[in-house]
Amino acid sequence: MAEKGASTLAATSAALDEVTAFLRERPRLRTLGVAGPPYAVLLVFFAIPLLAMVVVSFQDGEIGGPWTIANYTAFLGSETYLTVVWRTLQISVKVTAIVAVIGYALAYSIVRFSRRTTLLLLLVILPFWTSYIIRMYAWINILQSGGVLDSTLSMLGLPPVGLLYSGPAVLIGFTYVWLPLAVLPFYASLTNLDTDLIEASKDLGAGPIRTFASVTLPLTANGVVTGVILVFIPTFGSFITPRLLGGTNNIMIGMVIENQFKSAFNWPFGAAIGMVISVVVVGLLIAGMRYGGGLFAREVEEP
Amino acid sequence: MTRSSGLARRVERVCQAHAGRVAVVISGLVLAFLWVPIGVLVFMSFAEGGVLSFPPEELTLRWYQSFLQNDAALDAIVTTLTISVPATVVTVLLSTMIAYAIDRYVFPGRSWLQLLATLPIIVPLIVTGVAMVLFFNGTLGLPNYLSVVAAHVIRTIPFATLVILPTFMTFDRKLEEASKDLGADELRTFWQVTMPNIFPGIVAGGLLAFTLSFNEFVYTYFVKGSSDPTLPVYIWNQIRYHVTPEVNVISVVFLVVAVSMVLLAVSLTRVNLLARGE
Repeated sequence: MAEKGASTLAATSAALDEVTAFLRERPRLRTLGVAGPPYAVLLVFFAIPLLAMVVVSFQDGEIGGPWTIANYTAFLGSETYLTVVWRTLQISVKVTAIVAVIGYALAYSIVRFSRRTTLLLLLVILPFWTSYIIRMYAWINILQSGGVLDSTLSMLGLPPVGLLYSGPAVLIGFTYVWLPLAVLPFYASLTNLDTDLIEASKDLGAGPIRTFASVTLPLTANGVVTGVILVFIPTFGSFITPRLLGGTNNIMIGMVIENQFKSAFNWPFGAAIGMVISVVVVGLLIAGMRYGGGLFAREVEEP
Repeated sequence: MTRSSGLARRVERVCQAHAGRVAVVISGLVLAFLWVPIGVLVFMSFAEGGVLSFPPEELTLRWYQSFLQNDAALDAIVTTLTISVPATVVTVLLSTMIAYAIDRYVFPGRSWLQLLATLPIIVPLIVTGVAMVLFFNGTLGLPNYLSVVAAHVIRTIPFATLVILPTFMTFDRKLEEASKDLGADELRTFWQVTMPNIFPGIVAGGLLAFTLSFNEFVYTYFVKGSSDPTLPVYIWNQIRYHVTPEVNVISVVFLVVAVSMVLLAVSLTRVNLLARGE
């Protein structure tokens, strides 16, 4: 039995040797063998579905329906939907600004003033790896009327605020989930910053604020743009946070899509709204890479 | 003019003097903002009177007991694992291949591979979720289980690749050359020299992929039918229709899984690897 196993093993290894010898002669085939499978998976299960969404968004009522642009005209022609898009934009901009300021302040504090960098970074990252829904649920516990916040306020003799299902609740929820995500690129660009430049700026008589505005911030612009993109895009497409924390006055575009797939069952219309989100996202990416990066770089080059 | 510049100089001096203290205060406040909600969640899972009884009059393990007797929740955990475990294995395999190909080979379409392996992070989850339900369920008619596992693989590949690729890049290639000089072929060199060196990175990538997959909600919510919910989908239904203190207990389950996986992953690589995720 063992002998048989050993001989099979020898045969397998001989076969493997032959295969490697065969592939060594053919580097292209070898590359195809390594890169091909993941390439195929990403194409079939990610890229082609996205293309299919583009196609379906031009079909009427169901997949394979007659060609039409009605999904787009219905969406873009409806004042209700445009209000939702506008609100989604406003919320995303606010969230991005709040997260950028708080996240940058935190990253800066960690990089420049802390000795326990690893521990602090770990404490920032860990919440990011817990379930998104759980993190939202944590805030339901706190914000609902009669929840932890209201109880704490009443113990202090203050009136309850009952923030759940309001605009501020949505902002708090988004800030909470995206803060760790934004701190990472801020942190990375700040650690890569050459501290000699800061010293030089101070030696030349600039105070900390001026040094920050004219040296630190421009030189970490790449990290800032990355963080802004990482926060704005998922906020713009989100439906979980407004659904759980926002109530009926804070409907965002993601919720409209969810509705098409979970109750209205008009898939092509849902696909068209998905396209609208994609266009905004792609536009932002291009703007972020061209405008944001380039603008700061030019300022730095000037004498 | 001179007055304003004098003021500016004074502000600068104040900043200079107090910057360290301000930094400590900022760090403390933000970390409290990040961790207090999690602390509240864990604390309220022991509250006798449920989630609306803060501060609780009595602490109890009652909700943990009722969680352990809740077949629907336990089934949801099993369903999640039957998706997450195979998805993690596939993701680790594919991400290692991606990292190896990108690091070692020059071929047409190399930058496209890198882009494709990163894009799922950038494209909003809801857009990809919609695209997947249209294509997997609507066009291909894939079996439900296969669709969900494929969705989880796409969700986790970018993060696993982000962790595994740097371990390939920092690995000293001279060791491989030495192995080949001694007569070993590429495959043998990979298993006996490369693999032992990059193994911690691969395990770390796998742990993070598993954590993400265990938490995955958006793709699953769109692609998977309403029967046999995964744990995140189960909890979503609970929160939306009837909140029970058991949800806090399930939250603690999620927390324990995430924290232990990430700490393990970090101890295997370095925290900096996670921070390079841009």
